[in-house]
Amino acid sequence: MCWLICRRSGSAAAFVLAAAVTAAAQSVDPSALLKPPTDSWLTYHGDYSGRHHSTLTQVTPATVGQLGLAWAFQTGQAQQIKATPILANGVVYVTTPDNLWAIDARSGRQIWRYTHPMNDGFHIGHRGAAVSKDLVYLTTPDAHLLALDARDGTVKWDVVIADAKKGYWSTNAPLLIRNHLIVGVSGDFDNLPGILRSFDADTGAPQWTFYSTPPPDTPGSVSGGATGGQMWMTGTYDPDLNLLFVGTGNPTPVLNGEARPGDNRWTGSIVALNPDTGTMAWGFQASPHDTHDWDAAEVPVLVDAEFGGVQRKLLLQASRNGYYFVLDRTTGKNLLTTPFATVNWASGVDEAGRPSPNPAKEPARDGRLVAPDEAGGTNYRSPSFDPATGLLIVSAHDAYGIYFFKKEHGRYGWAGADYTVHGRGVLRALDYRTGQVRWSHDLHGGAGAAGVLTTAAGLTFSGDSANSAMALRTSDGATLWHAGIGRVGNAPITYELDGRQYVLFGGGSALYAFALPVPR
Amino acid sequence: MRPAPPATQQSYTRDQIETGRTRFAAQCGFCHGRDAAGGEGGTDLTRSALVAEDVRGDKIGPLLRSGRPDKGMPAFTLPAADLTAIVAFVHDQRAEAAAATGGRRAVDLADLQTGNAAAGQRYFEAACARCHSPAGDLKGVATRYQGLPLLQRMLYPGSGGRGAGPAPTPPAVRVTLRDGRVVTGTLAYRDEFTISLTDSDGWRRSWPANQVTYTVDDRLQAHVEQLGKYTDADMHDVLAYLQTLR
Repeated sequence: MCWLICRRSGSAAAFVLAAAVTAAAQSVDPSALLKPPTDSWLTYHGDYSGRHHSTLTQVTPATVGQLGLAWAFQTGQAQQIKATPILANGVVYVTTPDNLWAIDARSGRQIWRYTHPMNDGFHIGHRGAAVSKDLVYLTTPDAHLLALDARDGTVKWDVVIADAKKGYWSTNAPLLIRNHLIVGVSGDFDNLPGILRSFDADTGAPQWTFYSTPPPDTPGSVSGGATGGQMWMTGTYDPDLNLLFVGTGNPTPVLNGEARPGDNRWTGSIVALNPDTGTMAWGFQASPHDTHDWDAAEVPVLVDAEFGGVQRKLLLQASRNGYYFVLDRTTGKNLLTTPFATVNWASGVDEAGRPSPNPAKEPARDGRLVAPDEAGGTNYRSPSFDPATGLLIVSAHDAYGIYFFKKEHGRYGWAGADYTVHGRGVLRALDYRTGQVRWSHDLHGGAGAAGVLTTAAGLTFSGDSANSAMALRTSDGATLWHAGIGRVGNAPITYELDGRQYVLFGGGSALYAFALPVPR
Repeated sequence: MRPAPPATQQSYTRDQIETGRTRFAAQCGFCHGRDAAGGEGGTDLTRSALVAEDVRGDKIGPLLRSGRPDKGMPAFTLPAADLTAIVAFVHDQRAEAAAATGGRRAVDLADLQTGNAAAGQRYFEAACARCHSPAGDLKGVATRYQGLPLLQRMLYPGSGGRGAGPAPTPPAVRVTLRDGRVVTGTLAYRDEFTISLTDSDGWRRSWPANQVTYTVDDRLQAHVEQLGKYTDADMHDVLAYLQTLR
C-alpha cells in the first residue's frame, strides 16, 4: 500500500507519513509489559507481577464516595462476565466463552465483536484476552487459540492448542513474554496430561510444550500414574530471572487417590519455567497427592520485599487448599506455610513446607467431612498485593464438603463424589510476612466471584457475594463506597484516560466504568 | 436410593437426544458432568428429584430460565429447540443410569452404615438437644429422609437441594426504625447494605442497613459451628442415631 501512495505528491506523502506514525502508535509493543503505562491494562494481571495493583491516585479514600457511572456496556447475554478486561490504545477487550468484544473505553460503545462457531467444549467461563502489536488473542472452549486483527476482529490465524475431542478446553487469558504467547488449557473430567504451550505471537507457530504430568506410560515418570495438573490460569513473570511462574491443577482421577499413589508431581504445584524453552527450573508442591480437587492454579504473586530481615525476591500464593505460601522465587525454597481459611485436611507441614495430607481425610465410602470444600479456600479470583501496607488481600472461603470414594466410582475422570455442605465468603487481608489476618470483611454469602484491585491511594476495589461492587479502605477494610451492579464476576481494573481515572467492573453480564464527576 | 420412575413415560427422538448431548456438554457439562451424573459443583441430575418429576421440561424449563442464583446456578437463555434437546438428553441419561449400577457419583444407603447409634445418641444429647428433640421436630425424620439426603440435612439443612427436603424456614427478623417503630417478619434478603423481610401479610419490606437496627434469629448458625467440631466418627454416629427416629 505504501509503495503505491508514496509515488504521489509530496503533501500526500507527508500525510501518509503522519498516518503511519499514528498507526504504529496503535500497535502494542511487547516490551511495554515490562513497565505498563497507567493509561492501559495490557495483560490479565495488569503487569507481570500478578499484584493487581495500580499506582493511580486520582480516586482517593476522601473522594471515592463520589464515584459515578461513566458508562455501561451490555453484552446482551445471559452468561456472566468472569473475564478480567484488558485495555490497550483506548480499547477495552473483554470475553465470555466463544465471544470477544472490543469496546471504546471513552464511550462504552462496541467497536467490533468476534463470535466463535458453536462447539461442544465446556462454556463454564472465560478469563480474558491478550494483546501484542496489532493482534488480540482469544482461547476457545474447543481449545483453539485465535489471533484477531485488533482493528476489526477478523481472524488472522487459528491454531489448535490441544485436542478438544479428548476433553481439553480453554478459558485461559494468554500471557505474552516477548514473542512467546503462553497458553494453558483445562481438562479435569478426563485423565489427560497437563500441558502448557508457547506459540509465536506473530505467526502462531508452536514453540514448546511443558508437561506437568507426562503422557501415560512415559518412562521415568514422577507422577505416580497421575494425569492432570492443568495450567488453566495465567502465570506471572520475572524478567530479571527470566522465569515464568505458573500454578498447576489437581491430579486425575480427581477423588480416587488409590489409583495414583505418591505425591503426584507436578500436580497441585507452583512451577518455574524458562519462557524461551519451557524447561522447568524448580517446582514446589502446594498439595501433595491431592484428592479434593484443590489445584494450585491461583495467581503466583511476585513481590520484592524484606523477609526474615533480608531483602528477597518472593512469590506469594493463597492456594485453593486453604494454605498461604511464601517462596523464594529464585530457588523455589519455601519460607512460610500457614492457613488463611478453614482447613482440617493436613496432619502437619513437612520439612519442605508442604502440608501433609491426612489419609483419614481422603474421600471414603462412608464420607469424610473436609474443609475446605471443592471450591476451595480461594480460587481463580485475583488477589491483590498492596506495597504500602504489605497486605495480600484475598477473596477467601471458609467451607466444608463431604467427600466420597468407593471402588465402584472407578479410575477415570472425577471418580468419586463430593457435596458442599456450607461455605462463607470473606475478604481477608494477610500480612505478607506472617500470613496473619490484619482484617476481614464479610462478603455476605458463599464464595465470592470477584477479584481484588488495590491502588496507591490506599483503596481496595472488589465485589461481595451478593450484589455489589465495593471500595474499601486498604488499611482496615472499612467500606467507603458501593454500587449494586449485580454480582461482580471478575477482577476490577483501573486506568487513566484524558486525565480521568476509571475503575472498571464486570457486574452480571455487563461492564460498568466508574469515575469521579468531571468538574464543570 | 433410586428415584421413582417419572409419572409420565416420555419418548424423544435420537436426533433430539444427540443434539441435547452437544448442547448439554457445552452449557451444563462442567458443573453437572458431560453424562449429567455430576461434575464440578453441580448435582447428579440422573438422581435429581426435580428431573424425576419433570414432564417434557415443565420443571427443567422454568428452572433453566430462572437459574438458582443462591446455589450458584446461572439463568440460561436458550432457544426452545435447544431446551427440548437438553431435556431429552437428561431424561435419556436418567433412564440409562436407572438401568446401571454404581454410578459415578452414587452414594448408596448401605455406604453410610458405619456409625454407632448409641454413641450418636450421646453426642446428640450433648450437642443438638438444645434445639432438637427426637419426640418433637425430629419425630419420624428417618422415614422422611434416608441416606445422603439425611446426612446433608443433618450437617446443614438446605445443603442437599430438593432431594434433601424443603429449604429451612427463613430466620425471624426484628427491625427497629429510627422513630422507634418495630417491624417483624422473616428474612428475605440481607447483605452489607440492605435488610429485607417478608411481613406477616406477605409484603416485602426493605431498608438501608445503616438506617435501622435489626436482629436476625439465625438458628442455623449452630449447624455451621458444629461442622468444625464433628469428627468423621461423630458424624456417622449421629447419622446412625437419626436413622433410628422412624
